[in-house]
Amino acid sequence: MQGRGKNQRGVAALAVAVAAIAAALGLAACGGDTVGGGSDTEATTAKGGPASGSLTISNWPGYIDPGPKGTVAEFEKETGVDVDYIEDINSNDGFFGKLQPQLEQGESGGRSVFVVADYMAKQMHDLGYLQEIDHGDLPTVFANLAPDLESPDFDPERKFSVPWQGGMTGIWVDTAKAPDIRSVNDLFDPKYKGKVTMLDELRETPALVMLGEGVDPAQASADQWLDAIDKLGDAASSGQIRRFTGNEYTEDLTAGNIVAAIGWSGDASLIENENAEWRMPAEGCTRWMENMVIPVGAPNTPAALSWMNFVYRPNVAVDITEYVEYISPVQGVKELLEKRGSELAKSEIVFPTEEFTRDCTGQITPPELERVNEAWQDVLTG
Amino acid sequence: MSLRQRLVPYGLLGPGLLWLVVFFVVPMYFMGELALRSGSLTTGYTFDWAWSNFPDSLSGHTEQIGRSFLYAGTATVLALLIAYPLAYAIAFRAGRFKLLLLFAVIAPFFTTYLIRTIAWKTILSDSSPMVSVLQTLALVPPDGRVLATSGAVIAGLTYNFLPFMVLPLYANLERLDLRLIEAAKDLYSSSRQAFLKVTLPLTMPGIVAGVLLTFIPAFGDYINAQILGGTQQAMVGNVIQSLYLNQRDYPEAAALSFLMMGLILAVVIVYIRFAGTGAFMGDEDEEMA
Repeated sequence: MQGRGKNQRGVAALAVAVAAIAAALGLAACGGDTVGGGSDTEATTAKGGPASGSLTISNWPGYIDPGPKGTVAEFEKETGVDVDYIEDINSNDGFFGKLQPQLEQGESGGRSVFVVADYMAKQMHDLGYLQEIDHGDLPTVFANLAPDLESPDFDPERKFSVPWQGGMTGIWVDTAKAPDIRSVNDLFDPKYKGKVTMLDELRETPALVMLGEGVDPAQASADQWLDAIDKLGDAASSGQIRRFTGNEYTEDLTAGNIVAAIGWSGDASLIENENAEWRMPAEGCTRWMENMVIPVGAPNTPAALSWMNFVYRPNVAVDITEYVEYISPVQGVKELLEKRGSELAKSEIVFPTEEFTRDCTGQITPPELERVNEAWQDVLTG
Repeated sequence: MSLRQRLVPYGLLGPGLLWLVVFFVVPMYFMGELALRSGSLTTGYTFDWAWSNFPDSLSGHTEQIGRSFLYAGTATVLALLIAYPLAYAIAFRAGRFKLLLLFAVIAPFFTTYLIRTIAWKTILSDSSPMVSVLQTLALVPPDGRVLATSGAVIAGLTYNFLPFMVLPLYANLERLDLRLIEAAKDLYSSSRQAFLKVTLPLTMPGIVAGVLLTFIPAFGDYINAQILGGTQQAMVGNVIQSLYLNQRDYPEAAALSFLMMGLILAVVIVYIRFAGTGAFMGDEDEEMA
């Protein structure tokens, strides 16, 4: 009797489960046939106007002067806009991967501004995930933008991107422990086995390894990219490379776990180690620029545009530069720093001369991206 | 039974069932459907019964799958070895400190998982006192390290999932009928025999529950490998993350997730058969029979 009761209940439960799956299938059938592929509609233009309400901005960690006298607070005070400034970007690919399903639906997760690298801005634009910008709404930006940034290859008319900060990727060295590291090739010296980290970005680490071998990443074939990736894979499995990191290399340098790392030029404020020094590799660096963009579905675009104008005022931009120590796209910052008597005005890292960056290359996207990236990801998940 | 009486159990099942359908069956369906699509981000992913995603997702990733078994298995065994004496002591020897000790087991959970794991990075960093002690004891070579090794990942997994082992064991030991142990001793069994023949079999339900609660999440974990591991410690969770976020190969990521679910299910079924369904269901009558 007991057994029969159990069986009946089992059958009923199964029936309910089948019905539920059938219902789910029915639901799904209403959906489209294709996921992804970008939107086919014309790009919209971000609406301008007086700023009010609230504004959500996504940026990388440590990329703005914080606190009650920081840039965000000043903007809030002046405009009355309530800003939610979140530091939730740790890698271009990771951020894109997280948001892509929403962007595909025309949603930005409530964000009105992101900060992403040139190639990522282009990729988002090509997929129809960004709104275009009317220069008429951005008078302060285009009055103060450095002339060499007015017409980049990826966005010649600056239709969808406004530079935020730029920088260089080279080598961070603990000068007390490894004073002689001057080239990316030195990072492969067995003397420093397990004491070296590299960035997990495809367009940085393999590109720098190629430069070290005398190959120009901009001209390199897919096979040359794969050769560099192989070299990195071997160094990873032999234990030469301790980890592949995002921003976390700054923690390893602070804790003294490593003697050198491939890293970003402006991260001095994140590294608490007085012997840490950013060095231009003997063979050159990669240079990059990151941009503010307005995604599809962004709420309150007038406030977003007003934010862009605000951070392009030289007296605001100088505060940001003083804190982040990256390359500012705003003209007049150097003069203001000199007036304040700041050492940064003389820094080649903040104001690189053409001579200093002579051998540097831009952020290059490799040919046969999918195949090269797969090989790179295989190295990262060794 | 009246109709109403017969319907009551289904009514009681309703909320749970609805939960399962909305948060398990429907997502599973979408994931299964995604796993059978092909294409790329630029062309879009089209549903075309692409079964090849399943073998493709395994190729080149068997090492990480093996590693996940090794790490999660080792962490589970370590957690059991640590948790059993701990739960035993709390249940029988703690006296008035019982609640305090239980609180001490749960207290770290008031901090988020991520912060607890990052804290271990500081504890295990190369120049930390902890590592010097291990070097003095010759457990770590003089120029060796702990952070960014398999040992660090296993230690992190063991630490993070320990309460999942302690709590079911404690709940089980707590309601153990001590008269049974007394009876065993009356019948001239040694303490050791009484433990092996009485206590251990009676706590099998707690052991089985603890092992499952530890092993399953530890197998899919990627945080410990990412934060405490180096270049050769990636687990299958890290591979799925890379496929999903960095390569944006959604179909292959979904296929691999499905295969891992199947694999875990198979392992759990074998394990429960081996450890006895009675023990799993907490059916002590069956256990005694």
